[in-house]
Amino acid sequence: MRKTAILLIALLLSATPAIAKFKVVATLPWIGSVANEIGKEQVEVATLVKPNQDPHMVDARPSMILATRKADILMYNGLDLEIGYLPVLIESSRNPNIQPGKPGNFDGSHFVTVLEKPVSVDRSMGDVHPLGNPHYHYSPRNILAVAEGMANALSTIDLPHAGIYKANLATFREKVRAKQKEWSALPTKGRRFVAYHRLFEYLAADFGFTITAYVEPKPGIPPSAGYIERLIETIRGSRPDGILTTPIHGRKEVDFLAEKTGVRGIILPHDVGAAPGAKDWFAFMDQTLSALVK
Amino acid sequence: MKIWRRHVLVPSLLLTLTSPSFGQDVESRLKTLEDTTKAQQQKIEDQQHLIDELKSSPLGEASAPGGAETAARPTPGESGQAAVPAQEGTAAKLTGIFGGSAMTNPYISLIVNTFFYGSNLNQQELDSRTVPGFTNVPVGVNKGFNLESAELFIFAPVDPYLNLYANIPVTESGTELEEAYFVTSSLPAGLQVKGGKFKSGFGRINGQHPHAWDFVDIPLNYRAMVGQEGWVDTGVQLTYLPSLPVYTQFGMEVLQGKNDLLFNPDGTTPYAFTAFVKSSLDFGENSTLLFGPSFATGKARITTVADGTFFSGTTDLYGFELVYKWKPSRTKSVVFQSEYLYRRQNGDLTDFSSSTTNPLKRIQDGIYVQALYQRERWRFGVRYDVLDLFKKEILLAGVQQDFGNRAWRATGALEFNSTEFSRFRLQYNRDDSAGNGQINNELFFQVLLGIGAHAAHSF
Repeated sequence: MRKTAILLIALLLSATPAIAKFKVVATLPWIGSVANEIGKEQVEVATLVKPNQDPHMVDARPSMILATRKADILMYNGLDLEIGYLPVLIESSRNPNIQPGKPGNFDGSHFVTVLEKPVSVDRSMGDVHPLGNPHYHYSPRNILAVAEGMANALSTIDLPHAGIYKANLATFREKVRAKQKEWSALPTKGRRFVAYHRLFEYLAADFGFTITAYVEPKPGIPPSAGYIERLIETIRGSRPDGILTTPIHGRKEVDFLAEKTGVRGIILPHDVGAAPGAKDWFAFMDQTLSALVK
Repeated sequence: MKIWRRHVLVPSLLLTLTSPSFGQDVESRLKTLEDTTKAQQQKIEDQQHLIDELKSSPLGEASAPGGAETAARPTPGESGQAAVPAQEGTAAKLTGIFGGSAMTNPYISLIVNTFFYGSNLNQQELDSRTVPGFTNVPVGVNKGFNLESAELFIFAPVDPYLNLYANIPVTESGTELEEAYFVTSSLPAGLQVKGGKFKSGFGRINGQHPHAWDFVDIPLNYRAMVGQEGWVDTGVQLTYLPSLPVYTQFGMEVLQGKNDLLFNPDGTTPYAFTAFVKSSLDFGENSTLLFGPSFATGKARITTVADGTFFSGTTDLYGFELVYKWKPSRTKSVVFQSEYLYRRQNGDLTDFSSSTTNPLKRIQDGIYVQALYQRERWRFGVRYDVLDLFKKEILLAGVQQDFGNRAWRATGALEFNSTEFSRFRLQYNRDDSAGNGQINNELFFQVLLGIGAHAAHSF
């Protein structure tokens, strides 16, 4: 009798994973997109932050807590980009699987060569990220490293499907490499841009252009009228190839600068889905690079 | 002695430099150096070869069962850029719940709350201004400059199972331990235990720190029925978040019952109990609704009914909260919030001036409704408070007592948030809560500044 009960329970437990998909909770849209590439039909991805939101300023909605509660693995950008809401989500989720130190707590930045890590920083410098620039999702070579980390993490927790994750990673890698060839053929090298926020440093590093000035006087601090005036002079003098921003950052200022200086304002998507039509990370990068060289 | 030394040293040095043996020495050294470089170059080439080989086998051995300890290797791009330096031991990297700091200290932040206060009433009138029928406790602000507090927050994980939080506000009158509690992080089945001294989960405003409030002061129904600093108590809280399609959190608490207006001022008659439910729904990508009822009950031994009295009996407090947030973009949001409180107290009131004790039954209610509109770094808020909305029953020995007109207050506030860490707020209150028709026109200019660790905000 007892044995039968134990057997039944064991059967039930072992049957569950076969029915239920592996639950991935991703903070940002690009993380959800890469997780989908690596997990494919094995995973069910829930993305917390919507493409129209600023990843720096997100409110922890209760529905996010609920999603995190059900997660088998939590995947996030790291470098304190999510510091304003992720600690609340992790604690309030009451989910032992995704607590720090557990294999279900996946920080993508661990696989990245971090740029702009400040030696010393305080908040008089604006909203500087003390662990370095967190916007590495524009960098194909870093994304490849993150994808490898993801495949490893998924394989660790979801052992029975390790082979599938490995195969998906290989497919993803081939796709990225093919795309890299295509993207690096674009005439981005040697170009000079002005940017609104420190969002495009990884893009610049991967595609050989430079960012010569910023519209924000300090990260997170909107420019004053006087600062804009000085910037107009700088831009008129140096004639950069464009002024970069995103749909949600300083459109007004960039439009104004473009009008005053005649230098093109370029709107790059800040994440997958931020511009219409980008359903995955590849489309997002296609949009980004074609806008850059248009 | 010294002179001799110098004379000998200089020529011998010259001799060394010019001697042919020295030249030979340099030549042989260069040769050795060259050889070493060549050997090292060979070694690097070998290693590069090895790296390439490893890379060409996808994932290496890492995807083999149990092989996840193998460090993941970043792959350099093929687009002609410099290769990413190989990272060692990436699998060992961890990120803590509060971020990536490697500090051994707990996370510390300090929030300074200071304001200027102006009123058409004089200080004496302010000091004696209460909400008759509800509480005899005045607000206790000074006309002019007020340093509310410098709140020191300290938090860190204790171990993999517990996080610890402490809040130590330093005021001009001294230091207190406002909060000190642990929260479990790894209990199964969606359960969580909080223990120590903490803000009760009853209602919405009660759980928030004063610096996180949307106005300088607490809503009038809280001031009249819970107290102007809310209900902070010692005890245990159990919450449960079931895995439902809709966010629904259930909670209950056993607390000491330390509260001037509800239970007892020094926690000598335990216990007070609470129960609450909070549900939340999303409407599209931009809108969120949060709502739920709360309940608290306990023995009451209080002296705040009126001056020179002592009340002994029971308190039941019911609440309902509703929050609606609409945030279509980073620069624009609207938040609508309301809480209704209903309090029932039943017992005996002793009047020390006449040395009489009579049965007292109070059933009272109150509501606040507020709306906030944010645009860029500015935020505009309005609030309306009213007491005795549906129920105004104060029966002393069976006789209804009259405490004057219905208490209400209207508030308008304008905020400038220069960054996440500084807030400047101008607020005006028209307050008619003294029962005698005496209006208090209040003006606040508040400055809130935070330094130190970045604390996360709950919804």
